[in-house]
Amino acid sequence: MFDYIVIGAGIVGSTIARELSRYQVKVKVLDKENDVANVQTLANSAIIHSGHNPDPDSLKAKLCVWGNKLYEKMEEELSIPLLKSGAYVVAHNKTEEEKLAELYETAKINKVPEFYYLDSQEAKKQEPNISKNVTKVLSLPTTKVTYPWEVAFACMENAIMNGVSLQKNALVTKIIPNNEYFEIEVNGKQIFKTKNIINAAGVACDDIAGMVEKEVPYKVHGRKGEYFVLDKRVKGFVNHVLYPLPSDKGKGVLITPQFHGNILIGPTSEYVDDKFNVSTSFEGLDYVKTHAKELAENIPFNDIIRSFAGIRSSIESGDFYIEESKEFKGFYHVAGIDSPGLTSAPAIALYLLKEVIKIDKKQKINKDFNPIIRKQREFHSLSKEKQIELLKEDARYGNIICKCEKITEKEVIDAINGELGSDTIKGIKKRIRVGAGLCQGGYCEEKVMRLISREKNISPLDVKYDDKASKLFVGETKVNKL
Amino acid sequence: MREIVVIGGGASGLAVALETKKRGRDVLLIEREEDLGGILNQCIHNGFGLEVFEEEYTGPEYANKYIEEFLKLDIDYHLNTTVLKIEKTNNYFEITMSSKARGIEKIKAKAVVISTGSYERSRGSIIMPGERPYGVITAGSAQRYLNIDGYMVGKRVFILGSGDIGLIMARRMFLEGAKVLGVAEIMPYSNGLTRNIVQCLDDFDIPLYLSHTVTDVKSGESNRLESIVIQKVDENFNPIENTAKVFEVDTLLLSIGLIPDIALLDNLEVVVDSLTKSAKINQAYETSVRGLFICGNSLQVHDLVDNVTLESIRAGKCVSDYLEKKLEKNNESIDIIPGKNVGYVTPQVLDFSWSPKELIISFRGKKKMEKTKIKVFQNNELVFEKFKQFIVPAEMETIKLDYSKLNKFDELGISLEEL
Ligand SMILES: Cc1cc2nc3c(=O)[nH]c(=O)nc-3n(C[C@H](O)[C@H](O)[C@H](O)COP(=O)(O)OP(=O)(O)OC[C@H]3O[C@@H](n4cnc5c(N)ncnc54)[C@H](O)[C@@H]3O)c2cc1C
Repeated sequence: MFDYIVIGAGIVGSTIARELSRYQVKVKVLDKENDVANVQTLANSAIIHSGHNPDPDSLKAKLCVWGNKLYEKMEEELSIPLLKSGAYVVAHNKTEEEKLAELYETAKINKVPEFYYLDSQEAKKQEPNISKNVTKVLSLPTTKVTYPWEVAFACMENAIMNGVSLQKNALVTKIIPNNEYFEIEVNGKQIFKTKNIINAAGVACDDIAGMVEKEVPYKVHGRKGEYFVLDKRVKGFVNHVLYPLPSDKGKGVLITPQFHGNILIGPTSEYVDDKFNVSTSFEGLDYVKTHAKELAENIPFNDIIRSFAGIRSSIESGDFYIEESKEFKGFYHVAGIDSPGLTSAPAIALYLLKEVIKIDKKQKINKDFNPIIRKQREFHSLSKEKQIELLKEDARYGNIICKCEKITEKEVIDAINGELGSDTIKGIKKRIRVGAGLCQGGYCEEKVMRLISREKNISPLDVKYDDKASKLFVGETKVNKL
Repeated sequence: MREIVVIGGGASGLAVALETKKRGRDVLLIEREEDLGGILNQCIHNGFGLEVFEEEYTGPEYANKYIEEFLKLDIDYHLNTTVLKIEKTNNYFEITMSSKARGIEKIKAKAVVISTGSYERSRGSIIMPGERPYGVITAGSAQRYLNIDGYMVGKRVFILGSGDIGLIMARRMFLEGAKVLGVAEIMPYSNGLTRNIVQCLDDFDIPLYLSHTVTDVKSGESNRLESIVIQKVDENFNPIENTAKVFEVDTLLLSIGLIPDIALLDNLEVVVDSLTKSAKINQAYETSVRGLFICGNSLQVHDLVDNVTLESIRAGKCVSDYLEKKLEKNNESIDIIPGKNVGYVTPQVLDFSWSPKELIISFRGKKKMEKTKIKVFQNNELVFEKFKQFIVPAEMETIKLDYSKLNKFDELGISLEEL
């Protein structure tokens, strides 16, 4: 019998799992995917928003500002990547400047710790590529950019270190509430018993809730966001996150510098019928291009290396819904976690445990809890001395596997065999950026395939891109078979 | 201090190393893979060497001819070694490289030759709508899996782009028992050599859809490709309604072009040509950085390896001349400009400090043309003219002209005129 089962291993499920592991409770996390952070947490803008945008008094406002602060603590404890970029919201004319003033007021009420206006001249000095037509800017120095799945990995790994168990490829298919506990059916066969369930299933949160509640208090209306990624050779094109003024379509198309030097352009915001279909479209990507041009001059579209889409798990209220079920005690909804869900995630976890579950009244503290993970940054970003020292310990740091991102054999092997290791091409790419560069894996995928096969002692025929349907190969060639 | 460091041990790097060694220079070649030969190693089909040897070889056979000679001449080389960075100080280059055997090390060289080849354009560099399942891969990657590793990437295959690798792979996959349902090309003509269209598609009844592109990519429940949609496009490459065709395939191979791999030039102040997507060079294959040379597919994407060899031999000769201080003190140079119907041209600069008076210009036509005159102008005066029955963008053209007669002030323009 588990004390808590968390459904969903996105950023929200991962931060919750980590917070739960501070207590003496038996916790399991279930996710249908073959990896942590494979859905919303994999496809978003990666921005740790300041909290200048959500409606005052909303849960989003409170948790966004709080979450933003908690990221600095996570940086210290979990060695997560955090680019302290700051952000500019730009206005192009008097009408927009009035809207900017409204945002300024919102920021004040929401208790954003720092924000101020810049005139167009100062903005252009700081960001030479900012649009010529900008007349005024709201500067938000606490805005940051992270690397979302790495945050989820760090939280989940830390949770596992502290006793939580994770089961991947575990699709929850049915939930049976009993008086004292719940039974969760996974993949139509395995059954787990648990006293409490935390529903952190992202876009599927209403489906999960529907397995328990007679009337689900929300419905997910998937909202798609499409993006372009520019190669990291454009690093420095902009150094702040550039926002247009928000509209009824959300925060609009942004230009976002990424932690590793890439630039992200997007997203769109379109309601979709199929909330699981993350396809891109000509129209969407066109929209992104057109609108990005309102923010900056001479965007190097020639350096596009990838496009992708993500789906936001929006619900009607527009706010997060974090409550215990009225009818089924011990079932907790963490729903409607669309943007700024990434930012808010660590605060969502604390809010859920402290204010909704009131866990301190129920559970004892886990005295052995260790909040620290020391993660070594990319080998080739370390100092020369450190590199030489590591090379002496392990020559495999000398073997470059991914030449675009300069990732070494030792790092690939660690990503395969680590605590939260992965044996898929996509999983390795998420962990150490092998294949995330200019050639998009054209050069290194084969090398990673061979390393996975060697380290896991499996045939190349069993190496997968992501889930089991995505094996790299369908068979051997005629020559090989002989 | 080495005299010459050649980066890349494919057809180009081998030829440069051989030529410079034969001219008595000191040369070190660096290759990141465990074998010499580069991309030729995975091109197990025939068709290499007709120009140079007047005989047909497979890729590995062609490479071996040079590797054998390379080994016989006892040229220095490192395998399994990746160059990370090239820096230039006043008089020499500093090259940082990394390997399992020797860790990270730095060496100095008087001249550097970039022969790093090209990489394939991937899905990300074109706007292809749809989902992102596994099964959309570049043709060259599939070729490597097939010919080097011995594994098949799919059973039902469609190919986007009619570049040569795509065409060769259509045949190869067919012969391995896959169903190859077609090739779509966005241009109204093929980007591959005519002989490959005939030998790889026509002979196996594989349809070629010209002026078509992929407009949707679908996966089902799983993460594997299930189907694609192609559509006819208009002159502006916009999809035309009601022309959609659906193909149920598990693999979409991309043969949508190669891009010179010049990542190593990123922190040197090299002038880059947006047309070739590589460094601008003068007629000695020298970039805008003195002593830094570039040739082979990292300079311009070639359709025949024979031309890579010939070009790289010329480059090797120039590097040797450079070290022998055969350059004249002369700062004059003129630009060479692609004119009407010309897609790009190399060299982009004619530098009068270099001696050999023969200028070899390579270029590609922008479109298919018949009965064409290749014309070179300087200051509105025709300085060279040559008749050509056919011009196709898939085939690189080369002309030779004597530049002792050119003036040293006006740019040269090359154009193609249909008669
Ligand atoms: C386009 C876009 C841009 C965004 N930009 C930002 C931003 O810049 N800043 C910001 O703060 N936020 C941003 N967000 C919001 C942020 O990405 C999300 O709020 C956050 O990632 C949600 O995390 P999650 O864990 O709730 O959801 P997810 O990451 O989707 O995780 C839910 C998990 O539940 C699992 N699951 C679902 N059903 C089942 C089942 N039946 N059985 C088992 N497992 C199941 C899924 O597999 C998934 O792993 C953006 C979102 C999008 C889509």
